[in-house]
Amino acid sequence: MTELVAKPPASIGTRLLNMPGAAFITIALVPLFAFSNDAFLGASNLTNIMVQTSILLMVAVPMTYVILTEGLDISMGAVVSLCGVAMALYLADGGGLFVAILIACAVGAAFGAFNGVCVAYFQMPSFVVTLGTMGVAHGLALILTNASIVTGLGDQILALQTGSLAAIPYTVLIAISLYALAHLILYHTRFGTYVFAIGGNRHGLELAGIPVNLWHTGVYVFAGLYAGIAATLLTTRTFSAHPTVAIGMEFDAIAAVILGGTSFDRGKGWLFGTVLGVIAIGVLRNGLNLMAVSSSVQAVAIGLLVIGTLLLDKLRANGWRLT
Amino acid sequence: MGNLAERLDPDGGGRVNADVSLQGVRPAQVSPAPCVLSVKGICKTYPGVQALQNVDLDLHAGEVHAIMGENGAGKSSLIKAIVGAITCDSGEIRVDGTPVSINTPADAQTLGIAAIHQELSLVPHLSIAQNVFLGREPMTGVPFMVDHRKMADDAAAILHDIGLDCDVGAKADSLKVAHQQVVEIAKALSQNARVLILDEPTASLSDREADALFAMIDRLRAKGTAIVYISHRMNEIGRLADRITVLRDGKRVLSATPSEISTDEIIVAMVGRPVAQPSKEGRADRPVGDAVLELEDVWTGTGLAGITMSIRAGEIVGLAGLVGSGRTEVARAIFGVDPVLAGRIDWMGAPLTGDTPERVKSGIALVPEDRKEQGLCLEQTISQNLLHASFWKVFPKRLFRPSRARSISRDSIAKLRVATPHGEKRVGLLSGGNQQKTVIGKWLNADARLFIFDEPTRGIDIGAKAEIVDLMIALVERGNSVLMISSELPELVGCCDRVYVLREGEVAGELADADLTEDAILRLAMHHD
Repeated sequence: MTELVAKPPASIGTRLLNMPGAAFITIALVPLFAFSNDAFLGASNLTNIMVQTSILLMVAVPMTYVILTEGLDISMGAVVSLCGVAMALYLADGGGLFVAILIACAVGAAFGAFNGVCVAYFQMPSFVVTLGTMGVAHGLALILTNASIVTGLGDQILALQTGSLAAIPYTVLIAISLYALAHLILYHTRFGTYVFAIGGNRHGLELAGIPVNLWHTGVYVFAGLYAGIAATLLTTRTFSAHPTVAIGMEFDAIAAVILGGTSFDRGKGWLFGTVLGVIAIGVLRNGLNLMAVSSSVQAVAIGLLVIGTLLLDKLRANGWRLT
Repeated sequence: MGNLAERLDPDGGGRVNADVSLQGVRPAQVSPAPCVLSVKGICKTYPGVQALQNVDLDLHAGEVHAIMGENGAGKSSLIKAIVGAITCDSGEIRVDGTPVSINTPADAQTLGIAAIHQELSLVPHLSIAQNVFLGREPMTGVPFMVDHRKMADDAAAILHDIGLDCDVGAKADSLKVAHQQVVEIAKALSQNARVLILDEPTASLSDREADALFAMIDRLRAKGTAIVYISHRMNEIGRLADRITVLRDGKRVLSATPSEISTDEIIVAMVGRPVAQPSKEGRADRPVGDAVLELEDVWTGTGLAGITMSIRAGEIVGLAGLVGSGRTEVARAIFGVDPVLAGRIDWMGAPLTGDTPERVKSGIALVPEDRKEQGLCLEQTISQNLLHASFWKVFPKRLFRPSRARSISRDSIAKLRVATPHGEKRVGLLSGGNQQKTVIGKWLNADARLFIFDEPTRGIDIGAKAEIVDLMIALVERGNSVLMISSELPELVGCCDRVYVLREGEVAGELADADLTEDAILRLAMHHD
């Protein structure tokens, strides 16, 4: 037995090898797409990628929180759609933008609270609970809109869509600040510490005298609030709301979290990895769009990438042996 | 754990290096210190079980109070009641003479009661400092912001005090288990606890680490902390305890100072009847048959360097050695987990080849050290577990027949005397000894001929230990063979016909008959020449 108390810091080579899968994917894809299509590195396309990834980031960031607690929130795509529909209906009715955003966040938070109470207090598996709320949110969005698109949202939202600061669109700025907020919360507040602890050792947290169920519910409420923001950004971008617009977004978000190196293993992960994961997915989707690859094929590619990343992680952990 | 030297004395009376015995470690306290915490008449009933019946306990400042008892005696329930993890049906807890109600762990913390539970409560991917202050993070002036610097400084200071200098920013799971235990203790100390409860703290510690822990306990005692110490190990109790309380079946059966009672009296109180140490007399003339398993110059990639040994029918063969000497690796090679690079293994006269499932069918069984992870499916019932290794034999047509399964499980439960009302109970709910019996039953149903036991009595209370040993003897009396890996020297000497002592992947020696003594095993295991 060695007397080493903690593992020594890894060398640079090892650290590079231990980068999350997302980083490798991005590094491999960018030159590929740049060569195959001149438009890829154009300013307008890069802005486009930034805006797209911003919206996904608003779902992937809270998804990281949820996954750190060894949970999963597959209702997020449907909830984002519902939040968008709710705010769009209010705006189309002549309502103000600020209240509309509050409505979106409130709808998201309500769903989050429901999910959280079921998961934390009633100990139901998060996958099943959020599968249920996914259906509820999806159905409500269709009912509210008669399954059709909501348009005529007024000028306020147009300002948000076209506005920019130093050539960076508002959407991207909002996403960056909310990422920063989430980072601050995760790494510098008690709530963040307990997010790691719920996944890492929930019982230990209980024994420390923490009202664990309350904090655990908070994680899902947090996810709901961010779903409201994602809905705002999405509605801004499309200048309309469609009841199924964000269906499947949870898939990309979960993929991004996993590509970014967060795992379901006892609260292991880091938030910035999710940014890398979101960029990898954004670059992949955008590049394949430019190459006129259908979104169905894109889904196949992302699905395989996620599994490939898990395989890579396993190989790394096993010293490059499969078993 | 794992050092043979730890258990030289068959009575468990003392450590070799510490050279203490239960009596006269320290004069009993002349004037009793103030009573910090007192528990009066606590009762707790779970459906079907009375976990605690009118239990009293007095904790004095600056005293180590050992609580002993078999698994299921009520130790854990008592601790849980004190730290607020369960609510009692009746009874009273007083702190400094004032009645208090402790309903949540937070209540206990406020009263200065801290516990280190058997299962570690660390969060693996948080830093060491974050773990020490989990739930009590120091805050900066900025709203909601945790003061990471103060937390790191304070944690480093506390850890330094108790003898661990490390980077407190490192993640908790980068620490060895022993050091994680130290972090747990730091966590308790950072609360300025006046009552510290330690539940089997040395279960995963090496000898030296345990000594460091004892030194720490001595310092805390000197500072006036009241300490509750739970352990199965008699020598630790002798080293530490100022007062001993024994629980049995949820009741307090004995409370005394170490000078008033002997080890034997404690054991009798725990078990409720005298337990005989396994002895060789009376079964020395067991018929021994031909060799069934022969290893010849076996080399593996896991460190075995030319192992030659044999096991005959009707024989219990022991495998001794220090941790890392290759004991478990021999078992893995025989069981087909690690490939044999050179040499050969013969089973019933023919070379042993094929993968693990084939070896199981040919009659080799492994009762692993970690029965919860490797030996059983804890979430499944006893009946299901009993059939895990024998589906191919019990149901040759590959169709599951519940009636047959039930009858087999009934037979096994009766034969092995598993303490359970029926076979449909989850194995996870059984005590360690009954779980071990279930593992053995699983292999009996598979018609095993050779049973490899890896540390068969670890974590099992004294009464069940004796039963497991009896079971092994019953196995060989029916002509089976047993290969027993153990760190418990008295057990090896008491049960085995022969013992191979391993050292650094080689057979350092073979002992039998009169040569088979604990002393001889130790010398072979440690000797370099």
